[in-house]
Amino acid sequence: MNKNLDTILAIDNIEVMYDGVISALHDVTLSVPKGNIVALLGGNGAGKSTTLKAVSTMLASERGKVTKGSIRYDGHLIKNQNPTDMVRLGMVQVLEGRRCFGHLTVEENIISGAYSRKLSKQEIKNELEKIYNYFNRIKDRRKSQAGFTSGGEQQMIAVARAMMAKPKMLLLDEPSMGLAPQLVAEIFNIVRELNQKEGVSILLAEQNTNVALRNADYGYIIETGHVMLEGTAESLLKDEKVKELYLGISKEGRKNFRDVLREESA
Amino acid sequence: MTEFLFFIEVVVAGLLSGTMYSLVALGFVLIYKASSTFNFAQGAMVFFAVLAFVGFMELGIPFIPAFFVTVLLMVLVGFCTERLVLNPLMNQSEDTLLMATIGLGFVLEGLAQAAWGVEVRRLDLGIGDFPIEWIIDNLGLFVSALDLTAGLVAAGMITVLALMFKYTKMGLGLRAVADDPGAASSIGIPLKNIMLLVWSAAGVVALVAGMMWGARAGVQFALVDLALKALPVLIIGGFSSIPGAIIGGLIIGASEKVLEVYLGPFFGGAIEGWAPYVLAIFFLLYRPEGLFGEKIIRRV
Repeated sequence: MNKNLDTILAIDNIEVMYDGVISALHDVTLSVPKGNIVALLGGNGAGKSTTLKAVSTMLASERGKVTKGSIRYDGHLIKNQNPTDMVRLGMVQVLEGRRCFGHLTVEENIISGAYSRKLSKQEIKNELEKIYNYFNRIKDRRKSQAGFTSGGEQQMIAVARAMMAKPKMLLLDEPSMGLAPQLVAEIFNIVRELNQKEGVSILLAEQNTNVALRNADYGYIIETGHVMLEGTAESLLKDEKVKELYLGISKEGRKNFRDVLREESA
Repeated sequence: MTEFLFFIEVVVAGLLSGTMYSLVALGFVLIYKASSTFNFAQGAMVFFAVLAFVGFMELGIPFIPAFFVTVLLMVLVGFCTERLVLNPLMNQSEDTLLMATIGLGFVLEGLAQAAWGVEVRRLDLGIGDFPIEWIIDNLGLFVSALDLTAGLVAAGMITVLALMFKYTKMGLGLRAVADDPGAASSIGIPLKNIMLLVWSAAGVVALVAGMMWGARAGVQFALVDLALKALPVLIIGGFSSIPGAIIGGLIIGASEKVLEVYLGPFFGGAIEGWAPYVLAIFFLLYRPEGLFGEKIIRRV
Protein backbone atom coordinates (compact mmCIF):
# COMPACT_ATOMS: atom_id res chain seq x y z
CA MET A 1 0.00 0.00 0.00
CA ASN A 2 1.44 3.37 -0.89
CA LYS A 3 2.41 5.52 2.06
CA ASN A 4 1.04 8.85 0.97
CA LEU A 5 -0.08 11.75 3.16
CA ASP A 6 -3.52 10.25 3.60
CA THR A 7 -2.25 7.51 5.84
CA ILE A 8 -3.61 7.98 9.37
CA LEU A 9 -1.71 5.08 10.92
CA ALA A 10 1.57 3.58 9.81
CA ILE A 11 3.13 0.72 11.74
CA ASP A 12 6.65 0.09 10.55
CA ASN A 13 8.34 -3.18 11.33
CA ILE A 14 7.54 -3.33 15.03
CA GLU A 15 8.62 -5.93 17.50
CA VAL A 16 6.85 -6.32 20.87
CA MET A 17 8.14 -8.05 23.98
CA TYR A 18 6.25 -8.87 27.16
CA ASP A 19 8.18 -8.73 30.44
CA GLY A 20 11.33 -8.09 28.40
CA VAL A 21 11.58 -11.72 27.34
CA ILE A 22 8.46 -13.05 25.66
CA SER A 23 8.35 -11.83 22.11
CA ALA A 24 4.82 -11.44 20.77
CA LEU A 25 5.31 -9.57 17.49
CA HIS A 26 8.33 -9.86 15.20
CA ASP A 27 8.01 -7.72 12.12
CA VAL A 28 4.57 -6.28 11.73
CA THR A 29 4.22 -3.56 9.13
CA LEU A 30 0.84 -2.21 8.18
CA SER A 31 -0.90 1.03 7.41
CA VAL A 32 -4.41 2.41 7.59
CA PRO A 33 -5.43 5.02 5.00
CA LYS A 34 -7.60 7.83 6.33
CA GLY A 35 -11.30 6.91 6.26
CA ASN A 36 -10.69 3.22 5.57
CA ILE A 37 -11.58 0.06 7.43
CA VAL A 38 -8.59 -2.23 7.67
CA ALA A 39 -8.95 -5.76 9.00
CA LEU A 40 -6.26 -7.56 10.95
CA LEU A 41 -6.94 -11.27 10.70
CA GLY A 42 -5.53 -14.36 12.33
CA GLY A 43 -6.20 -17.02 14.92
CA ASN A 44 -5.75 -17.02 18.68
CA GLY A 45 -2.37 -15.79 19.79
CA ALA A 46 -1.43 -14.52 16.34
CA GLY A 47 -0.69 -11.07 17.70
CA LYS A 48 -3.79 -9.13 16.70
CA SER A 49 -4.56 -7.77 20.14
CA THR A 50 -0.90 -7.06 20.81
CA THR A 51 -0.71 -4.99 17.63
CA LEU A 52 -3.75 -2.94 18.64
CA LYS A 53 -2.42 -2.42 22.14
CA ALA A 54 0.95 -1.34 20.80
CA VAL A 55 -0.85 1.36 18.83
CA SER A 56 -3.13 2.51 21.66
CA THR A 57 -0.22 2.33 24.17
CA MET A 58 -2.27 0.01 26.38
CA LEU A 59 0.68 -2.41 26.27
CA ALA A 60 2.45 -0.72 29.16
CA SER A 61 -0.26 -1.77 31.61
CA GLU A 62 0.46 -5.39 30.69
CA ARG A 63 4.20 -5.00 30.97
CA GLY A 64 4.62 -5.12 27.21
CA LYS A 65 6.91 -2.87 25.21
CA VAL A 66 7.58 -1.99 21.58
CA THR A 67 11.26 -2.86 21.26
CA LYS A 68 11.86 -2.17 17.57
CA GLY A 69 10.28 -0.27 14.73
CA SER A 70 8.01 2.74 14.82
CA ILE A 71 4.36 3.69 14.95
CA ARG A 72 3.17 6.93 13.37
CA TYR A 73 -0.34 8.14 13.93
CA ASP A 74 -1.81 11.30 12.40
CA GLY A 75 1.56 13.04 12.25
CA HIS A 76 2.71 11.93 15.71
CA LEU A 77 5.43 9.44 16.49
CA ILE A 78 3.94 7.15 19.15
CA LYS A 79 6.53 6.55 21.80
CA ASN A 80 6.02 7.79 25.34
CA GLN A 81 2.34 8.60 25.18
CA ASN A 82 -0.12 7.00 27.57
CA PRO A 83 -3.70 5.94 26.73
CA THR A 84 -5.06 9.27 27.99
CA ASP A 85 -2.81 11.13 25.52
CA MET A 86 -3.91 8.83 22.72
CA VAL A 87 -7.58 9.44 23.42
CA ARG A 88 -6.90 13.19 23.30
CA LEU A 89 -5.18 12.66 19.93
CA GLY A 90 -8.38 11.02 18.74
CA MET A 91 -7.53 7.34 18.96
CA VAL A 92 -9.71 5.04 21.05
CA GLN A 93 -9.44 1.31 21.47
CA VAL A 94 -12.49 -0.87 22.10
CA LEU A 95 -10.98 -3.67 24.13
CA GLU A 96 -11.54 -7.34 23.53
CA GLY A 97 -14.47 -8.70 25.55
CA ARG A 98 -16.34 -5.35 25.52
CA ARG A 99 -15.39 -4.43 29.11
CA CYS A 100 -18.43 -2.34 29.98
CA PHE A 101 -18.65 -0.85 33.44
CA GLY A 102 -21.08 -3.44 34.79
CA HIS A 103 -22.31 -1.49 37.80
CA LEU A 104 -22.92 1.72 35.87
CA THR A 105 -26.06 2.31 33.84
CA VAL A 106 -25.92 2.03 30.07
CA GLU A 107 -26.10 5.80 29.75
CA GLU A 108 -23.40 6.40 32.38
CA ASN A 109 -21.19 4.00 30.45
CA ILE A 110 -21.64 5.97 27.26
CA ILE A 111 -21.18 9.35 28.95
CA SER A 112 -17.96 8.13 30.54
CA GLY A 113 -16.54 7.96 27.02
CA ALA A 114 -16.62 11.75 26.87
CA TYR A 115 -14.40 12.04 29.94
CA SER A 116 -11.45 13.38 27.97
CA ARG A 117 -13.56 16.16 26.43
CA LYS A 118 -14.67 19.33 28.13
CA LEU A 119 -18.39 19.39 27.41
CA SER A 120 -21.31 21.14 29.06
CA LYS A 121 -24.35 19.18 30.23
CA GLN A 122 -26.25 20.31 27.15
CA GLU A 123 -23.44 19.33 24.79
CA ILE A 124 -23.28 15.89 26.38
CA LYS A 125 -27.02 15.54 25.84
CA ASN A 126 -26.69 16.45 22.16
CA GLU A 127 -23.79 14.06 21.67
CA LEU A 128 -25.77 11.29 23.37
CA GLU A 129 -28.72 11.80 21.04
CA LYS A 130 -26.38 11.67 18.07
CA ILE A 131 -24.85 8.42 19.29
CA TYR A 132 -28.24 6.86 20.04
CA ASN A 133 -29.17 7.40 16.40
CA TYR A 134 -26.62 4.76 15.51
CA PHE A 135 -27.38 2.50 18.45
CA ASN A 136 -31.18 2.38 18.67
CA ARG A 137 -31.24 -0.91 20.48
CA ILE A 138 -29.46 0.40 23.59
CA LYS A 139 -31.43 3.63 23.78
CA ASP A 140 -34.38 1.77 25.30
CA ARG A 141 -32.10 0.27 27.90
CA ARG A 142 -30.31 3.48 28.88
CA LYS A 143 -31.36 3.27 32.55
CA SER A 144 -30.48 -0.40 33.10
CA GLN A 145 -27.28 -1.57 34.71
CA ALA A 146 -24.85 -2.43 31.92
CA GLY A 147 -23.83 -5.69 33.58
CA PHE A 148 -27.30 -7.08 33.01
CA THR A 149 -27.54 -6.31 29.28
CA SER A 150 -26.91 -8.92 26.60
CA GLY A 151 -23.57 -9.55 24.92
CA GLY A 152 -24.61 -7.75 21.76
CA GLU A 153 -25.86 -4.78 23.72
CA GLN A 154 -22.62 -4.66 25.67
CA GLN A 155 -20.64 -4.60 22.45
CA MET A 156 -22.77 -1.70 21.27
CA ILE A 157 -22.27 0.10 24.58
CA ALA A 158 -18.52 -0.35 24.24
CA VAL A 159 -18.46 1.09 20.71
CA ALA A 160 -20.87 3.89 21.64
CA ARG A 161 -18.70 4.73 24.65
CA ALA A 162 -15.63 4.95 22.44
CA MET A 163 -17.49 7.15 19.93
CA MET A 164 -18.30 9.66 22.70
CA ALA A 165 -14.60 10.56 22.73
CA LYS A 166 -15.08 11.80 19.14
CA PRO A 167 -12.27 9.65 17.75
CA LYS A 168 -10.58 10.04 14.38
CA MET A 169 -9.61 6.42 14.61
CA LEU A 170 -11.13 3.40 16.33
CA LEU A 171 -9.30 0.20 17.16
CA LEU A 172 -11.83 -2.61 17.46
CA ASP A 173 -10.69 -5.85 19.07
CA GLU A 174 -12.92 -8.79 18.14
CA PRO A 175 -16.31 -7.12 18.11
CA SER A 176 -17.92 -10.36 16.91
CA MET A 177 -16.69 -12.46 19.81
CA GLY A 178 -19.36 -14.74 21.23
CA LEU A 179 -22.25 -13.12 19.36
CA ALA A 180 -24.98 -14.63 17.21
CA PRO A 181 -24.58 -14.07 13.43
CA GLN A 182 -27.45 -11.56 13.16
CA LEU A 183 -25.97 -9.49 15.96
CA VAL A 184 -22.53 -9.62 14.36
CA ALA A 185 -24.09 -8.35 11.14
CA GLU A 186 -25.93 -5.61 13.04
CA ILE A 187 -22.76 -4.45 14.76
CA PHE A 188 -20.74 -4.46 11.55
CA ASN A 189 -23.47 -2.43 9.86
CA ILE A 190 -23.18 0.17 12.60
CA VAL A 191 -19.39 0.17 12.31
CA ARG A 192 -19.65 0.76 8.56
CA GLU A 193 -22.17 3.53 9.11
CA LEU A 194 -19.88 5.22 11.64
CA ASN A 195 -17.03 4.90 9.18
CA GLN A 196 -19.01 6.46 6.35
CA LYS A 197 -20.97 9.16 8.19
CA GLU A 198 -18.49 10.17 10.87
CA GLY A 199 -15.39 9.52 8.78
CA VAL A 200 -13.73 7.40 11.49
CA SER A 201 -10.83 5.29 10.29
CA ILE A 202 -10.95 1.78 11.69
CA LEU A 203 -8.41 -0.91 12.43
CA LEU A 204 -10.28 -4.09 13.18
CA ALA A 205 -8.87 -7.25 14.71
CA GLU A 206 -11.05 -10.27 13.95
CA GLN A 207 -11.10 -14.04 13.90
CA ASN A 208 -14.29 -13.99 11.91
CA THR A 209 -12.45 -13.58 8.59
CA ASN A 210 -15.52 -13.73 6.41
CA VAL A 211 -17.50 -10.95 8.09
CA ALA A 212 -14.41 -8.81 8.58
CA LEU A 213 -13.35 -8.95 4.93
CA ARG A 214 -16.89 -8.30 3.70
CA ASN A 215 -16.90 -5.05 5.67
CA ALA A 216 -13.29 -3.93 5.30
CA ASP A 217 -11.38 -2.20 2.50
CA TYR A 218 -8.08 -3.89 3.08
CA GLY A 219 -6.82 -6.83 5.10
CA TYR A 220 -3.69 -8.22 6.72
CA ILE A 221 -3.32 -11.80 7.86
CA ILE A 222 -0.93 -12.36 10.72
CA GLU A 223 0.32 -15.56 12.26
CA THR A 224 2.63 -15.97 15.25
CA GLY A 225 3.59 -12.34 15.15
CA HIS A 226 4.37 -12.05 11.42
CA VAL A 227 2.33 -10.54 8.62
CA MET A 228 1.80 -13.49 6.24
CA LEU A 229 -0.41 -11.95 3.60
CA GLU A 230 -2.01 -8.65 2.73
CA GLY A 231 -4.29 -7.29 0.06
CA THR A 232 -7.58 -5.62 -0.67
CA ALA A 233 -10.51 -7.25 1.07
CA GLU A 234 -11.86 -8.39 -2.27
CA SER A 235 -8.64 -10.09 -3.34
CA LEU A 236 -8.25 -11.81 0.03
CA LEU A 237 -11.80 -13.17 -0.13
CA LYS A 238 -10.94 -14.76 -3.49
CA ASP A 239 -7.49 -16.00 -2.46
CA GLU A 240 -7.32 -19.81 -2.44
CA LYS A 241 -5.08 -20.04 0.64
CA VAL A 242 -7.29 -17.67 2.62
CA LYS A 243 -10.35 -19.63 1.54
CA GLU A 244 -8.85 -22.90 2.62
CA LEU A 245 -7.24 -21.80 5.87
CA TYR A 246 -9.50 -19.07 7.17
CA LEU A 247 -12.85 -19.45 5.48
CA GLY A 248 -13.02 -23.25 5.58
CA ILE A 249 -13.64 -23.52 1.84
CA SER A 250 -11.38 -25.69 -0.32
CA LYS A 251 -11.23 -25.91 -4.11
CA GLU A 252 -13.63 -28.83 -4.07
CA GLY A 253 -16.21 -26.83 -2.21
CA ARG A 254 -16.93 -26.55 1.47
CA LYS A 255 -14.54 -28.50 3.60
CA ASN A 256 -15.80 -29.80 6.89
CA PHE A 257 -14.45 -31.87 9.70
CA ARG A 258 -15.72 -35.14 8.21
CA ASP A 259 -13.83 -34.46 4.97
CA VAL A 260 -10.65 -33.86 6.88
CA LEU A 261 -11.06 -37.14 8.79
CA ARG A 262 -11.79 -39.01 5.55
CA GLU A 263 -8.68 -37.54 3.93
CA GLU A 264 -6.59 -38.57 6.91
CA SER A 265 -7.85 -42.17 6.96
CA ALA A 266 -7.42 -42.53 3.19
CA MET B 1 -40.64 2.87 80.90
CA THR B 2 -37.31 4.20 82.19
CA GLU B 3 -35.92 0.80 81.28
CA PHE B 4 -37.02 1.39 77.66
CA LEU B 5 -35.79 4.98 77.61
CA PHE B 6 -32.43 3.76 78.79
CA PHE B 7 -32.34 1.25 75.95
CA ILE B 8 -33.12 4.03 73.46
CA GLU B 9 -30.35 6.14 74.96
CA VAL B 10 -27.87 3.32 74.51
CA VAL B 11 -28.94 2.77 70.92
CA VAL B 12 -28.80 6.49 70.09
CA ALA B 13 -25.34 6.86 71.60
CA GLY B 14 -24.31 3.76 69.64
CA LEU B 15 -25.71 5.04 66.37
CA LEU B 16 -24.02 8.40 66.80
CA SER B 17 -20.63 6.87 67.49
CA GLY B 18 -21.40 4.49 64.64
CA THR B 19 -21.50 7.39 62.17
CA MET B 20 -17.81 7.90 62.94
CA TYR B 21 -17.10 4.28 62.06
CA SER B 22 -19.09 4.85 58.88
CA LEU B 23 -16.96 7.84 58.03
CA VAL B 24 -13.68 6.00 58.54
CA ALA B 25 -15.01 2.98 56.68
CA LEU B 26 -15.88 5.33 53.83
CA GLY B 27 -12.19 6.20 53.58
CA PHE B 28 -11.43 2.51 53.16
CA VAL B 29 -14.21 2.01 50.61
CA LEU B 30 -12.93 4.89 48.47
CA ILE B 31 -9.49 3.40 48.20
CA TYR B 32 -10.78 -0.13 47.86
CA LYS B 33 -12.98 0.91 44.95
CA ALA B 34 -10.20 2.68 43.08
CA SER B 35 -7.31 0.31 43.67
CA SER B 36 -8.98 -2.82 45.08
CA THR B 37 -6.66 -2.89 48.04
CA PHE B 38 -7.45 -2.67 51.74
CA ASN B 39 -5.63 0.44 52.91
CA PHE B 40 -4.02 -0.57 56.18
CA ALA B 41 -2.56 2.92 56.45
CA GLN B 42 -6.00 4.46 57.02
CA GLY B 43 -5.60 4.29 60.81
CA ALA B 44 -2.19 5.91 60.57
CA MET B 45 -3.71 8.60 58.35
CA VAL B 46 -6.29 9.37 61.05
CA PHE B 47 -3.52 9.67 63.62
CA PHE B 48 -1.22 11.65 61.33
CA ALA B 49 -3.96 14.08 60.29
CA VAL B 50 -5.28 14.94 63.72
CA LEU B 51 -1.80 15.11 65.28
CA ALA B 52 -0.74 17.53 62.56
CA PHE B 53 -3.91 19.56 63.16
CA VAL B 54 -3.22 19.80 66.90
CA GLY B 55 0.41 20.57 66.12
CA PHE B 56 -0.57 23.50 63.89
CA MET B 57 -2.94 24.79 66.58
CA GLU B 58 -0.10 24.63 69.12
CA LEU B 59 1.97 26.79 66.78
CA GLY B 60 -0.67 29.44 67.33
CA ILE B 61 -2.60 29.02 64.09
CA PRO B 62 -6.34 29.55 64.70
CA PHE B 63 -8.83 26.71 64.33
CA ILE B 64 -10.14 27.29 60.81
CA PRO B 65 -6.83 28.09 59.06
CA ALA B 66 -5.24 25.14 60.88
CA PHE B 67 -8.01 22.91 59.56
CA PHE B 68 -7.41 23.98 55.97
CA VAL B 69 -3.63 23.74 56.28
CA THR B 70 -4.11 20.16 57.49
CA VAL B 71 -6.47 19.43 54.59
CA LEU B 72 -3.74 20.65 52.22
CA LEU B 73 -1.21 18.51 54.05
CA MET B 74 -3.44 15.45 53.61
CA VAL B 75 -3.79 16.19 49.90
CA LEU B 76 -0.01 16.36 49.76
CA VAL B 77 0.21 13.01 51.57
CA GLY B 78 -2.22 11.61 48.99
CA PHE B 79 -0.13 13.03 46.16
CA CYS B 80 3.12 11.58 47.54
CA THR B 81 1.44 8.22 48.13
CA GLU B 82 0.28 8.11 44.52
CA ARG B 83 3.68 9.16 43.14
CA LEU B 84 6.04 7.29 45.43
CA VAL B 85 4.09 4.19 46.41
CA LEU B 86 1.21 3.39 44.06
CA ASN B 87 2.58 4.51 40.73
CA PRO B 88 5.79 2.44 40.90
CA LEU B 89 3.66 -0.55 41.95
CA MET B 90 1.16 -0.16 39.12
CA ASN B 91 0.05 -3.53 37.70
CA GLN B 92 1.47 -5.43 40.65
CA SER B 93 -0.73 -7.88 42.52
CA GLU B 94 -3.20 -6.73 45.15
CA ASP B 95 -1.13 -8.45 47.86
CA THR B 96 1.84 -6.28 46.96
CA LEU B 97 -0.30 -3.18 47.30
CA LEU B 98 -1.64 -4.39 50.64
CA MET B 99 1.88 -4.82 51.98
CA ALA B 100 2.76 -1.39 50.65
CA THR B 101 -0.10 0.19 52.58
CA ILE B 102 1.08 -1.51 55.78
CA GLY B 103 4.51 0.01 55.16
CA LEU B 104 2.95 3.38 54.40
CA GLY B 105 1.15 3.16 57.76
CA PHE B 106 4.45 2.74 59.63
CA VAL B 107 5.98 5.63 57.74
CA LEU B 108 3.07 7.95 58.57
CA GLU B 109 3.02 6.92 62.25
CA GLY B 110 6.77 7.52 62.46
CA LEU B 111 6.66 10.85 60.64
CA ALA B 112 3.81 12.12 62.79
CA GLN B 113 5.56 11.26 66.03
CA ALA B 114 8.92 12.54 64.81
CA ALA B 115 7.35 15.86 63.93
CA TRP B 116 4.99 16.39 66.83
CA GLY B 117 6.19 14.16 69.65
CA VAL B 118 4.66 11.18 71.38
CA GLU B 119 2.68 12.56 74.33
CA VAL B 120 -1.12 12.49 74.37
CA ARG B 121 -2.60 15.85 73.32
CA ARG B 122 -5.88 17.37 74.25
CA LEU B 123 -8.09 18.63 71.49
CA ASP B 124 -10.79 21.08 72.46
CA LEU B 125 -13.40 21.61 69.77
CA GLY B 126 -15.48 23.79 72.09
CA ILE B 127 -18.17 21.11 72.26
CA GLY B 128 -18.51 19.38 75.58
CA ASP B 129 -19.08 15.67 76.07
CA PHE B 130 -22.19 16.31 78.19
CA PRO B 131 -25.92 15.78 77.59
CA ILE B 132 -27.96 18.44 75.83
CA GLU B 133 -30.55 20.06 78.13
CA TRP B 134 -33.14 20.58 75.42
CA ILE B 135 -33.28 16.90 74.58
CA ILE B 136 -33.49 15.93 78.26
CA ASP B 137 -36.40 18.30 78.77
CA ASN B 138 -38.34 17.37 75.68
CA LEU B 139 -37.57 13.70 75.08
CA GLY B 140 -36.21 12.61 78.39
CA LEU B 141 -33.07 11.22 76.76
CA PHE B 142 -29.44 11.84 77.67
CA VAL B 143 -27.60 12.55 74.41
CA SER B 144 -24.07 13.90 74.44
CA ALA B 145 -23.50 17.13 72.50
CA LEU B 146 -20.20 15.80 71.18
CA ASP B 147 -21.82 12.56 70.01
CA LEU B 148 -24.56 14.52 68.28
CA THR B 149 -22.13 16.91 66.57
CA ALA B 150 -19.89 14.06 65.44
CA GLY B 151 -22.92 12.22 64.10
CA LEU B 152 -24.18 15.22 62.16
CA VAL B 153 -20.75 16.07 60.74
CA ALA B 154 -20.20 12.46 59.65
CA ALA B 155 -23.68 12.28 58.12
CA GLY B 156 -23.05 15.56 56.27
CA MET B 157 -19.71 14.42 54.87
CA ILE B 158 -21.11 11.09 53.80
CA THR B 159 -23.97 12.81 51.97
CA VAL B 160 -21.62 15.20 50.19
CA LEU B 161 -19.32 12.38 49.09
CA ALA B 162 -22.19 10.18 47.95
CA LEU B 163 -23.69 13.01 45.87
CA MET B 164 -20.28 13.75 44.41
CA PHE B 165 -19.87 10.17 43.23
CA LYS B 166 -23.30 10.05 41.72
CA TYR B 167 -23.47 13.40 39.96
CA THR B 168 -20.03 14.80 39.16
CA LYS B 169 -17.70 13.97 36.31
CA MET B 170 -14.92 13.01 38.72
CA GLY B 171 -17.40 10.74 40.51
CA LEU B 172 -18.32 9.03 37.27
CA GLY B 173 -14.62 8.58 36.52
CA LEU B 174 -14.06 7.09 39.95
CA ARG B 175 -16.91 4.62 39.56
CA ALA B 176 -15.64 3.67 36.11
CA VAL B 177 -12.14 3.05 37.46
CA ALA B 178 -13.61 1.06 40.34
CA ASP B 179 -15.41 -1.19 37.85
CA ASP B 180 -12.63 -1.76 35.33
CA PRO B 181 -9.41 0.29 35.45
CA GLY B 182 -8.24 -1.05 32.08
CA ALA B 183 -11.41 -0.09 30.26
CA ALA B 184 -11.46 3.27 32.05
CA SER B 185 -7.97 4.04 30.85
CA SER B 186 -8.84 2.91 27.31
CA ILE B 187 -11.38 5.73 27.03
CA GLY B 188 -9.00 8.32 28.41
CA ILE B 189 -9.88 8.48 32.11
CA PRO B 190 -6.56 9.37 33.78
CA LEU B 191 -6.03 6.80 36.53
CA LYS B 192 -3.45 9.01 38.24
CA ASN B 193 -5.88 11.87 38.82
CA ILE B 194 -8.52 9.50 40.13
CA MET B 195 -6.04 7.95 42.58
CA LEU B 196 -5.01 11.40 43.75
CA LEU B 197 -8.65 12.35 44.28
CA VAL B 198 -9.38 9.19 46.22
CA TRP B 199 -6.38 9.45 48.52
CA SER B 200 -7.04 13.11 49.19
CA ALA B 201 -10.67 12.42 50.03
CA ALA B 202 -9.61 9.56 52.30
CA GLY B 203 -7.14 11.95 53.96
CA VAL B 204 -9.82 14.56 54.66
CA VAL B 205 -12.17 11.90 55.99
CA ALA B 206 -9.33 10.70 58.23
CA LEU B 207 -8.80 14.23 59.56
CA VAL B 208 -12.46 14.73 60.46
CA ALA B 209 -12.72 11.32 62.12
CA GLY B 210 -9.49 11.97 64.01
CA MET B 211 -10.76 15.31 65.27
CA MET B 212 -13.98 13.83 66.61
CA TRP B 213 -12.29 10.87 68.28
CA GLY B 214 -9.41 13.00 69.47
CA ALA B 215 -11.79 15.43 71.12
CA ARG B 216 -13.26 12.62 73.21
CA ALA B 217 -10.31 10.41 74.04
CA GLY B 218 -7.31 12.64 73.44
CA VAL B 219 -5.05 12.68 70.40
CA GLN B 220 -2.95 9.60 70.87
CA PHE B 221 -1.53 6.55 69.20
CA ALA B 222 -4.59 4.44 70.10
CA LEU B 223 -6.46 6.22 67.29
CA VAL B 224 -4.61 3.97 64.84
CA ASP B 225 -6.28 0.88 66.29
CA LEU B 226 -9.63 2.59 66.72
CA ALA B 227 -9.67 3.19 62.96
CA LEU B 228 -9.25 -0.52 62.37
CA LYS B 229 -12.77 -0.94 63.80
CA ALA B 230 -13.67 -0.09 60.24
CA LEU B 231 -12.67 -3.63 59.34
CA PRO B 232 -15.74 -5.32 60.89
CA VAL B 233 -17.81 -2.43 59.52
CA LEU B 234 -16.61 -3.25 56.03
CA ILE B 235 -17.12 -6.97 56.46
CA ILE B 236 -20.71 -6.34 57.48
CA GLY B 237 -21.42 -3.61 54.96
CA GLY B 238 -19.39 -4.87 52.03
CA PHE B 239 -15.98 -3.58 50.98
CA SER B 240 -17.05 -1.84 47.83
CA SER B 241 -20.29 -0.23 48.91
CA ILE B 242 -20.79 3.30 50.18
CA PRO B 243 -24.29 2.57 51.60
CA GLY B 244 -22.73 -0.57 53.07
CA ALA B 245 -20.10 1.44 54.92
CA ILE B 246 -22.80 3.71 56.33
CA ILE B 247 -25.19 0.97 57.46
CA GLY B 248 -22.31 -1.22 58.64
CA GLY B 249 -20.98 1.59 60.80
CA LEU B 250 -24.40 2.18 62.36
CA ILE B 251 -24.86 -1.53 63.04
CA ILE B 252 -21.44 -1.84 64.68
CA GLY B 253 -21.93 1.35 66.69
CA ALA B 254 -25.38 0.42 68.00
CA SER B 255 -24.68 -3.26 68.58
CA GLU B 256 -21.41 -2.77 70.41
CA LYS B 257 -23.04 -0.36 72.87
CA VAL B 258 -26.10 -2.56 73.38
CA LEU B 259 -23.96 -5.68 73.83
CA GLU B 260 -21.65 -3.83 76.21
CA VAL B 261 -24.51 -2.67 78.39
CA TYR B 262 -26.61 -5.83 78.43
CA LEU B 263 -24.11 -8.66 77.94
CA GLY B 264 -20.93 -6.94 79.13
CA PRO B 265 -21.44 -7.77 82.85
CA PHE B 266 -21.50 -11.50 82.05
CA PHE B 267 -18.07 -11.29 80.40
CA GLY B 268 -16.54 -8.96 82.95
CA GLY B 269 -17.17 -5.85 80.83
CA ALA B 270 -15.22 -4.15 78.06
CA ILE B 271 -16.64 -6.38 75.35
CA GLU B 272 -17.05 -3.29 73.16
CA GLY B 273 -13.51 -3.89 71.93
CA TRP B 274 -14.10 -7.34 70.51
CA ALA B 275 -17.86 -7.81 70.09
CA PRO B 276 -17.84 -6.20 66.59
CA TYR B 277 -15.24 -8.72 65.42
CA VAL B 278 -17.43 -11.61 66.61
CA LEU B 279 -20.30 -10.12 64.65
CA ALA B 280 -18.01 -9.83 61.64
CA ILE B 281 -17.09 -13.50 61.87
CA PHE B 282 -20.77 -14.45 61.66
CA PHE B 283 -21.09 -12.35 58.54
CA LEU B 284 -17.99 -13.95 57.02
CA LEU B 285 -19.58 -17.35 57.61
CA TYR B 286 -23.05 -16.61 56.31
CA ARG B 287 -22.81 -13.61 54.01
CA PRO B 288 -19.21 -13.06 52.98
CA GLU B 289 -19.95 -10.30 50.46
CA GLY B 290 -21.55 -8.25 53.26
CA LEU B 291 -24.99 -6.69 53.27
CA PHE B 292 -24.38 -4.40 50.31
CA GLY B 293 -21.20 -5.74 48.77
CA GLU B 294 -21.27 -5.79 45.02
CA LYS B 295 -22.01 -9.28 43.92
CA ILE B 296 -20.10 -10.17 40.84
CA ILE B 297 -22.58 -9.66 38.05
CA ARG B 298 -22.64 -12.74 35.92
CA ARG B 299 -25.01 -13.27 33.05
CA VAL B 300 -26.38 -16.77 32.73
